[in-house]
Amino acid sequence: MKQGILTLSELTKFIELLKTSYKVFAPVKKEEGVFFEEVNSADDIALGYYNSKLPPKRLFLPQCEVLCTFENGQLVEIPIADEKCAIFGMRPCDALALSRIDMVFDKEDLKDPYYLARRKNTVLLSLVCDKPLDTCFCTSVGGGPSSGDGSDIRMVHLGNRLLLEALTEKGESLISSAKQFLKKPKQSDLEEKEKIVAESEKKVPRIKVDGIKENLEKGFNLPLWSAIAERCLGCGVCTYLCPTCYCFDITDEVKGEKGKRIRTWDSCQYPLFTLHASGHNPRPSKTERMRQRIMHKFFYAVENFGRTFCVGCGRCVRSCPVNLDLRESIELITGNKACVSTRK
Amino acid sequence: MEGIETKIRETAKALFSEKKIDILIGHEKGSLVFHSRPVMIRDANDTERLVWNSFCTNNLAVYLPRFFEPKKPKKGEVPPPLPRVAVIAKGCDARSIIGLVRERQVPRQNLIIIGVPCEGMIDKSKLEKLLEGDFIASGSIKDGGTSITGFSGKRLDIKKEQVLLDACIECAFPVVEDADIAIAGTSRKPATEKYKTAKSFSEKSPAERWRYFAQEISKCIRCYACRQVCPNCYCKECFVEQTNPRWVSAGDDLSEKMVFHIGRVFHQAGRCVECDACVRACPVGIDIRTFTQKVAQDVKEMFDYCPGFSPEVSPPLCAYRLDDRQEFITEP
Repeated sequence: MKQGILTLSELTKFIELLKTSYKVFAPVKKEEGVFFEEVNSADDIALGYYNSKLPPKRLFLPQCEVLCTFENGQLVEIPIADEKCAIFGMRPCDALALSRIDMVFDKEDLKDPYYLARRKNTVLLSLVCDKPLDTCFCTSVGGGPSSGDGSDIRMVHLGNRLLLEALTEKGESLISSAKQFLKKPKQSDLEEKEKIVAESEKKVPRIKVDGIKENLEKGFNLPLWSAIAERCLGCGVCTYLCPTCYCFDITDEVKGEKGKRIRTWDSCQYPLFTLHASGHNPRPSKTERMRQRIMHKFFYAVENFGRTFCVGCGRCVRSCPVNLDLRESIELITGNKACVSTRK
Repeated sequence: MEGIETKIRETAKALFSEKKIDILIGHEKGSLVFHSRPVMIRDANDTERLVWNSFCTNNLAVYLPRFFEPKKPKKGEVPPPLPRVAVIAKGCDARSIIGLVRERQVPRQNLIIIGVPCEGMIDKSKLEKLLEGDFIASGSIKDGGTSITGFSGKRLDIKKEQVLLDACIECAFPVVEDADIAIAGTSRKPATEKYKTAKSFSEKSPAERWRYFAQEISKCIRCYACRQVCPNCYCKECFVEQTNPRWVSAGDDLSEKMVFHIGRVFHQAGRCVECDACVRACPVGIDIRTFTQKVAQDVKEMFDYCPGFSPEVSPPLCAYRLDDRQEFITEP
């Protein structure tokens, strides 16, 4: 069974069913915004949301995880998490971001067992985006409101019901196991879906990204970097709120004879990120650090994986404390618009 | 407000034309609805970019120390003269600047403080809460009233006063006292009741206060935006980033987050001007205000000190008197 219609009055039962096999995460509305959290019932789910404040990447790459512990010279391995999870209602941009991170953590010659175990044990039900914001630009960077990349099931919100479409075998078996709650979609349902997707695609603002890689290749030493970074204050909001930023640090924290090895998020915007033991720092100022962030997403990633590592979710645009707008930086680089002051 | 904006632009233009400044830090139109952002102007022709409206929330003092960092001149070279910097300052920005002068981070003689009468800034998150979680698609401000429309089409007409930042509602010093150039206009009336947020927090039991602190700090993702936007947080290396010795784990346990926030807030004692730049920068909405204001209130009540005025007077963290209160010192 590849498709099904779930009426929202059956959502409670559907979530209950999911809960029998999975820990279920979904968008939950809180005072500060919408966050992905474990839900007890369908009542907790904020279905008609824009996007979550933080990207759900933390469910696969937690901000901190203990890799092993050690005591008196003995190493204790921590078993890799094997908990089955279902993520319900992730936006396509964030699912697309996971498919980007997969490229890094699931290479032929290099595999990240922690991340991959979580990916394998998770079934991802994405929700076609019918609420793009003015800061979104997914359609300009290889995504779209109905992109299925990274998802097992694509859901579309059709008024009082959801259309579910399996995109992977994992998704197909989940739909089959829930068939008692699902109806066969009618032609009109599929037409309604097409209409919603088309309308949403029209609403997503577009930016000019063409030529960015070529310009970056030539532009490593241009003064525009100091112009772009001038306002930057060097916090980690743009990286920690980015669904594709995956950089981490590994630290041994030792107390006497005991200790643990932890992996934590890290950010290229922090000076410590590249500080050498000698005291030398190859990226000594915000200019080099901001350049790195943009080079990584729009040049190195394209070189290595053939894809930009920006999915156009707009979180960095919306949350930067000084409104350093990535869209403007991109436009400045592609030569479209001079929109930041230039240093004399 | 448009009158003030024109005066700001004229003043800036004159300062550049008369070659009195090298750089001016002000606000320009942001890229989002209802948003202004910091801008650094280096040319008289760019002064038209300067704006003044209800969204000039950034505390611009944070940009100052970078211009005066001591640099080692290359052999045989004469170090370039320090730049002359003008800053568009609200009451809170100006008090932060005075703090930086007092702490020898910026030389007063190289600064021109352009004091702007502040009527209070709008809190976008309050607008979004009124839209019940919707985001602002468009909006306009007229005669103290604000009209906003959310992306879902919902329209609201609100009095500006209703949606001001808490920092502005409780602001006791909206007038810039140390301005070199004062832009004429009306400021907001100073709040009569001080430390309102902190007082209601103080009334809670210690257990309740701790619970609230834990609840708020548990949201922290350690992005350090609160620290980076704070004019007082200019340390070359923050204690949370020191690796030898290591004070704080790189992990995300609540206790580690708490150590960072306790360290930061206590380091603000007698220094924080309650501008709430940290609160606005926080991407996850931690109520930092309650804690910074509580420390500000304690400093006022215990040491009768309010930061941001006389650069000559040392704040309590840097001074001691024989009659300092000491009843908080307990036997182990």
